[in-house]
This record gives sequence, structure tokens and C-alpha cells, in this order.
Amino acid sequence: MPDRSIVRYYLASCLVVFVFSSAEAFADLDVNRILHSTDAMNDDYDDFGLEDEFVESDVNTTFDPAGGYNRVMLQVNDKLYFWILKPVAKGYGTIVPEPGRRAVSHFFRNSVFPIRLVNNILQLKFKGAGTECLRFAVNTSFGVLGFGDPATSKFNLKEYNEDFGQTFGHYGIGAGFHLVLPVLGPSNLRDLAGLVPDSFLTWHNYVHSSAARLSIAGFRTTNHTSLHIGEYENFKENAFDFYILFRDSYEQNRKMKISE
Amino acid sequence: MTKLRGIIIFALMCQHCAVASTAEQAKQLVETRLNTVLSILQDKKGPDVINRKDMVVEILEPLFDFSTMAKLTLGRQHWPSLSDENKGRFTELFIARLADSFFDKLMLYTDEVIQFETPSEVEKKVHVPTILISKDNKIAMVYKLYRSKTDWKIYDIEIQGVSIIHTYRSQFHQILENGTVDDLLTKLKLPRSD
Repeated sequence: MPDRSIVRYYLASCLVVFVFSSAEAFADLDVNRILHSTDAMNDDYDDFGLEDEFVESDVNTTFDPAGGYNRVMLQVNDKLYFWILKPVAKGYGTIVPEPGRRAVSHFFRNSVFPIRLVNNILQLKFKGAGTECLRFAVNTSFGVLGFGDPATSKFNLKEYNEDFGQTFGHYGIGAGFHLVLPVLGPSNLRDLAGLVPDSFLTWHNYVHSSAARLSIAGFRTTNHTSLHIGEYENFKENAFDFYILFRDSYEQNRKMKISE
Repeated sequence: MTKLRGIIIFALMCQHCAVASTAEQAKQLVETRLNTVLSILQDKKGPDVINRKDMVVEILEPLFDFSTMAKLTLGRQHWPSLSDENKGRFTELFIARLADSFFDKLMLYTDEVIQFETPSEVEKKVHVPTILISKDNKIAMVYKLYRSKTDWKIYDIEIQGVSIIHTYRSQFHQILENGTVDDLLTKLKLPRSD
């Protein structure tokens, strides 16, 4: 439950996010230096003018003060995945057939609809908010408590996925810097700040007993993982520097989601 | 006056058509080739896997400007400092690696459909947005093309907002920051990690 000390910590962390997102603005100044330094122009580098778009996005990911910690945490999460999560999810997958696991996955997605609704409204995306309401009504009734997803399959109602991290980004708050969270994986200061209000809109965080709360979260993660085994491995296989690949992909993907 | 206005509107419309057709041209090029590839991959009675891959590579290769892609991953910061020999070796190794991972992924397409959206022109380049639709997933892919001397060529692909060139680029920059060009070449030569 949100008591006072959590709120205080939360406000303090928001301040940190704000400070670091302004640091990002300074990093942007670097773009011009790289683009227009004389050295750079006097070479045989014939790129058909394609380079510039990549130089701009370079700078956005090079501010990485937590890099050392992040690399360690990524290793920890990697081991957690291969030693615990993956074997458990695989075992679970052999017991519960795929359609069942998909239904469970739909149920959880449907049940966190308040996160999507609130953030569509906060970003004044009323079409998204309306569609989310319709989806929730259809899936909860015809889809039997959200275990089915007739909104997508029968009514062609697309999900409008928004969260607080995206809302903050929508209003101009920068990513701050990249952070790998224990168990939860890649994130950044802004998105970490977004996880707190998101969690207030997640029903299973209000379950009274902490054992039950943990089991629900664990079950949700296991179920999700069982449907995505191989994706992480595949991704890792193509890496030269796994941390950089992971960090970059996360930040770019979030950027796209915010701009949508 | 109305006549003049008519002429201006007509001229604007012509211009609009011309603009649309450039982007449209690039889109058609990608669309025809990718759809041919999908039909080859999904033809169950067709040639076996090895022959299929050769056919796919043959169809798609002219679409890509692989050597410019290689150059872009090192960027102005590193590319010019490479010796000519190393430039050649890097390009060769990078292309092998990129083509390998791209075509390997492509070979896994079974029931996928590619939905093409309206292309857009971005500073003389064309972005062709597509959605890769499979049984239970939708992946947004943007093919980014530029006009080379000969034809429209792909220089980057964005998958769910993640640019392939950009991810290679930041990884290579990281390697070169802590190591040498030889380190980079050795890493490129290694078979992919488990």
C-alpha cells in the first residue's frame, strides 16, 4: 500500500530523473561538434548523406554512468534466467498446453487495462482510451474474464499500450540513463519512475498476503516466459557486446513507443 | 484569376503525384521481392532448404547496399582510419555476418504475411513501413532505402523501432573504444556465441 515513506522516496527519485534528463540535453550539444568538426569532413567517407541520422542517435545512448553496475546486473539476470526461470517455465510448459498458457497471458493483459487506460487519457489519446474501454468490456464479457481475446480476433480492436514511462516521455522527460533492474531487466531512470504509478494500477499488488502477492507475480512471469522461450537466446546469439546490444535495443524501442 | 488558380492547383497535384511515385516506386520494389521470397518459403512442395536459401539470397541481394551498411556501422569516426586492406576485410566479414543472421531469420518464416503500409519520404530517403503478421504476433519493420546511382537500395532496417545499423554501430564503437581494429576483426570472424 502506498504509505508516506514510499511517496517520499518516489518524489526524491523523480527529482533525480529530472536532473539527469537535463544532463541529456547537454549531451545533445555534442552532435553538432561531431557533425561539423573539420576532421570529419576531410576524408574519403562517401556515405550518400546517410550517416547523420545515426550520429544523432549515438549521443543519446552514450551517456551511461551506471554502465559498470548494469553489466554486472545483466549477468545476474542472465543466470537467473538460465538456472531458474527457463527450467521452471519449460516444466510448466510441458504440463499446461499452449492454448491454456495463451489464455492466462490474455487474462493478465486484460487485467492491467487500468494502466493503459489512465496513460492514454493522461496523454490525451482519447481514441486509444475509448478503444481500451471497448476492449476491456468485450474481453471481460465475451472473452470470459479476459481469458479470450475476441476484441482482437473478432472485432479487430487493436491494443493501445501506454504506461507511465511513456507518459513521462510524451511530456518531454528524457530517459536519464540506462539501468538494468534486478529480475525485471532493462530500464532507465524515467521508466523506473514510471513503474511505481504503474504498480499502483496493477490489481495483484493489492493482494493482502505478501506470499500470495509474490506467487501471482511469479506465476505471471513463468507463464509469460513459457511463451517466449528462445527469443532471449536468439537475441544474445547475434551480439558482439551483449550489454550494448540490449541497452540500445531497449532505449530505441522505448523511443518509438513514446513517439507513437 | 480562377484559371491561374486552376493551373497552380494542377501543378501542385502533379508535384504531389511525382513525390508519391518516388516513395511508391521504392515500396513496390521491396514489396515484389519480399512477396516472391515469402511464396518460395511457404511453398511446401518447392525446392529443399539449401536451394531455397540460395534462391532467397539471389532475389534479395540486389535490394541491399551491403558495403554502405558496413561503412555506416563504423561511421566517420572510425572508417577513415582503417587501412584499405582492413576496410576490405571488415566489409567482407560484416556482410557475411549480417546476411547470415538476416537470411537465417527469414528461413523461419512459415505462415507469416507482410502487410505494407504507406511509404514516406524522409530527407530524400524512403521509409517503407511494414507489419510482419504471424499467428500470434505482429512485428513492425521499416525498410529504409536511399537512391543510389543505380537504384533504390536498403541501407537499414528497423525492427520495432530498433535500427540494425545503430545496434551494430554502438557495439563496434564500444569494441574500438577499448581495443583495436584487429580485435574487432577477430570478433567478427568468430562463430556466433552459444
